[in-house]
Amino acid sequence: MHVLAASALEDLFRAFLQGLPPGTVYALFALGFVLTYKTSGVFNLAFGAQAYVSAAMFFKAREQWGWEIPPALVLSVFILAPLVGLLLEGVIFRHLRTAGDLPKLVVTIGLAVALPNLFNVLASFEPTPGVTPAGIVPDGATVFYDPFGVYPFSRDELVAVAVAVVAMTALAGLFRFTAIGLRMRAVVESPRMTELNGIPADRISAVAWMLSSFFAGIAGVLIAPRFNTLAPGDFFGLMVIAIAAASVGKLASLPGALVGGLGLGVFIAEANTFLPRWAESSSWLEPLQDNLTPAIPFMVLFGILVLVPGIRRAKAATDPLAGVDPPPPSIGMVERSRRDVLLSRVAGTVFVVGVLAIVLTQGDQVWVFRITEAVALATIFLSITVITGLGGQISLCQGAFAATGAFAVFQLVDRYDMGAIPAALVGAVIAAALGALLSLPVRRLGGVWVAIATLAFAYFFDSVVLQLPFVGGGDTSLFQGTAVPRPVVGPWDLGSDKSFLVFAVVVLAIVAVLVVNLRSGTLGKTLLAIRGSEVAAQSVGISPGRARLVAFAVSAFIAAIGGSLMAMHQENVNYGNNFEPFLAVFWLVLVAVLGVRTVSGAIQGAVAFTLFDPLILKGELLGWILRSPESVPGVFPIVSTWVFILFGFGAIQFARHPQGILEYQLHRRAVKAAEKRDGPGPGPPDGSSTGAEVDERTEEPVG
Amino acid sequence: MSALLQVTDVTKTFAGIVALDGVNLEVEVGERVGLIGPNGAGKTTFFNAMMGVIPADTGRVELGGVDLSDRPVHERARAGIGRTFQRTELFTDSTVRDHLLVAERVRRGHGRFWKDVLGLGRPTDDEVAQCDQVLELLGLRSLAAEPIERLSLGQCRLVEVGRALMTEPTLLLLDEPSSGLDRSETAALAQTLRDVQDEQGFAILLVEHDVELVADFTTRTYVLDFGRVLTEGPTHDVLNSPEVRAAYLGTMEPTG
Repeated sequence: MHVLAASALEDLFRAFLQGLPPGTVYALFALGFVLTYKTSGVFNLAFGAQAYVSAAMFFKAREQWGWEIPPALVLSVFILAPLVGLLLEGVIFRHLRTAGDLPKLVVTIGLAVALPNLFNVLASFEPTPGVTPAGIVPDGATVFYDPFGVYPFSRDELVAVAVAVVAMTALAGLFRFTAIGLRMRAVVESPRMTELNGIPADRISAVAWMLSSFFAGIAGVLIAPRFNTLAPGDFFGLMVIAIAAASVGKLASLPGALVGGLGLGVFIAEANTFLPRWAESSSWLEPLQDNLTPAIPFMVLFGILVLVPGIRRAKAATDPLAGVDPPPPSIGMVERSRRDVLLSRVAGTVFVVGVLAIVLTQGDQVWVFRITEAVALATIFLSITVITGLGGQISLCQGAFAATGAFAVFQLVDRYDMGAIPAALVGAVIAAALGALLSLPVRRLGGVWVAIATLAFAYFFDSVVLQLPFVGGGDTSLFQGTAVPRPVVGPWDLGSDKSFLVFAVVVLAIVAVLVVNLRSGTLGKTLLAIRGSEVAAQSVGISPGRARLVAFAVSAFIAAIGGSLMAMHQENVNYGNNFEPFLAVFWLVLVAVLGVRTVSGAIQGAVAFTLFDPLILKGELLGWILRSPESVPGVFPIVSTWVFILFGFGAIQFARHPQGILEYQLHRRAVKAAEKRDGPGPGPPDGSSTGAEVDERTEEPVG
Repeated sequence: MSALLQVTDVTKTFAGIVALDGVNLEVEVGERVGLIGPNGAGKTTFFNAMMGVIPADTGRVELGGVDLSDRPVHERARAGIGRTFQRTELFTDSTVRDHLLVAERVRRGHGRFWKDVLGLGRPTDDEVAQCDQVLELLGLRSLAAEPIERLSLGQCRLVEVGRALMTEPTLLLLDEPSSGLDRSETAALAQTLRDVQDEQGFAILLVEHDVELVADFTTRTYVLDFGRVLTEGPTHDVLNSPEVRAAYLGTMEPTG
């Protein structure tokens, strides 16, 4: 008995030591993250991408150019990383100071997608699969030191700890002893006073960004040896861990981030040690045990949210320097006449039906397949229209909801021989319940918390839920395929691709009508009011929590319908290709760029996703225009990476025109028309002209 | 007969600083009551505590004999407390009428989800008529279809009043309605409020800096200082009492 206890203690201590090196790196990550959030109010979800860029640069310099370690380190961490920070601040975020939380968040998400791809293209870098990146010391993996005789530290690990300690000490020294550090602290502690004292806002902001980007870079290079292959997605997941660490300090405290990072590192190591033992007796722990690291952020975040209710009143950090110049007045919303709305709806429908007719009669199998995929994806994207466009909340787990629908069809058909369509409906109801449940702890929090909570859930789903036998069907089933049948509707068997396309379009149309109805009904109006002013909405008796819960549930329902449609279309769930978290993040970017409030925005997003690569980048369209595929210029085919780069950077304009490019263009045309009519400039027009026109106007944007 | 609004012994402490110290306040049905005090006296804190925006440490808030102390903000609003905001809180991207329509829909409480799904959630003619009636009352009828961004501050305050009125409040809280308005705009606002109140009979609690407006508009006034009620009584007497003038009004000439 005594021996057993001693060995358990020893294991505890070993896991503690083992958790320290990754813990310090998480802490570095979290520190850099909190630094930009506090000093510039930007919740920088591109942070993982910044870390990736440095890690990839280091890898490239070492492995492909054969550089020595010191110059490679200087280039990647001391030059490239701060430069990226400087550019992001100077070119993008400085100009977004007055934008709201939501647009800024979307911009960083866009960058998270665009930056790694841009680096890969510019540096013609292709991560070599299966090649573990080396650390910043030679022979990093060799055991170097075993202080207590329980856990041997490798050289990489020790260096990681040492570098992290030096970097944190330097940061503390900077804050304590330098003028710029003092000013940054001033910004953090009393923004108003900083403004009044005439402290140069731009410089502080630039320095903060460079610093935090440097932290991202160093953390990226230090953590890289833990991955088998360099992949942007892993760094994104790593950032989610760092955010969970930062949430220990309510996303606002640097010491809190430090403690959180270390704590998480140790916690993960302890859990990795002890979970397998417990799992022997309780088998439900098994899926958790295999994928603990990606599952932890979710558990920690939700643990904090549920157990520390005080955090739910934590205020989102706004840019402390934003007050320096007040936000520009919003362009007055100009409503289009009912005739215009009707006209564009009819035109849109005619166009869609026309395309459909051509594809069905003329299209080959490839085209039918592409268009069906776009239709299924558009259905999923409409869920983003509901939660982000109407609800004003960023949900990054729409992929998980869609996958819920897809897996429900697979499981229910497989196990209970249910029809595909009832199975899809059951799946959608399950997803809706999941969405409602998920929204409970975050529905009163600001947009930033919703974004990270949903992101953490996406990774939890990806790593744990998916492994459950009644979801992904267990390991083997996931690999062997999760087959999904085509549905049978009454007398029609939708086995053929063309008949299924028709079915998919019908489903999309139903969902689109649903979204338009919700938008113009009580829920839409209520959500619009909450988005405008939550306190004011409450003051007329609206319960924001309830409205958001409904929005989440509806959105999850729609996503699941779309997901099951996608699975039926491909006759397989294909989770990794269709629904994985990083991909779902890109969905949001696409829809945000093209129009997050309208049905047409969602459809165009889906079309862009499926057709942009083959048509534009692979030169099919040009070939068709030139009438001969052979005469397409040599630059084609362009790598599909550009889809991510173009739309990722496209997200930047979302901050300026949150209604999306297309809606913005329509809007501008309407404003011009109104100016022609009423004379230039906004201002209360005389009553006689509006009074008569009132009834011909309509409130909603075109669907 | 007990008062419409009965606030009993409300206390609120922020990190050791007593912002509200056992505040008692009453408003009778249909009465116009003022609440004044120097900056930092706790007016806004009191307002927020009464609405439930911040939780009070102790104390009771009753409206029409119903205890609202533990209710969330939106339920207090439904119970009959309407309010405006010192810094206008409006619904961006909405028209003037939209502001009232959403309030009207919530009050009627028939915004069922299934109606939205079936496309029956659009404003009914009846609702629009109801809103336009209030807009007419406030002189905003001609601006009904205007986006809120096009309105002047004075008009925005009226929209806030209109929005609050749609909830059919028994008590209307006005949070510094004169801030940002010039003298004539303030006078016009006061006149409109008085007219509407005559018609609808709700009570008003006015938190104000502008002593002239308080003197002109209210019949009874509370003076808050350092989180306590310094004095209370008929507005004229309160504003002329030496105690209040020393603490707050300085050398100001007696008014009202």
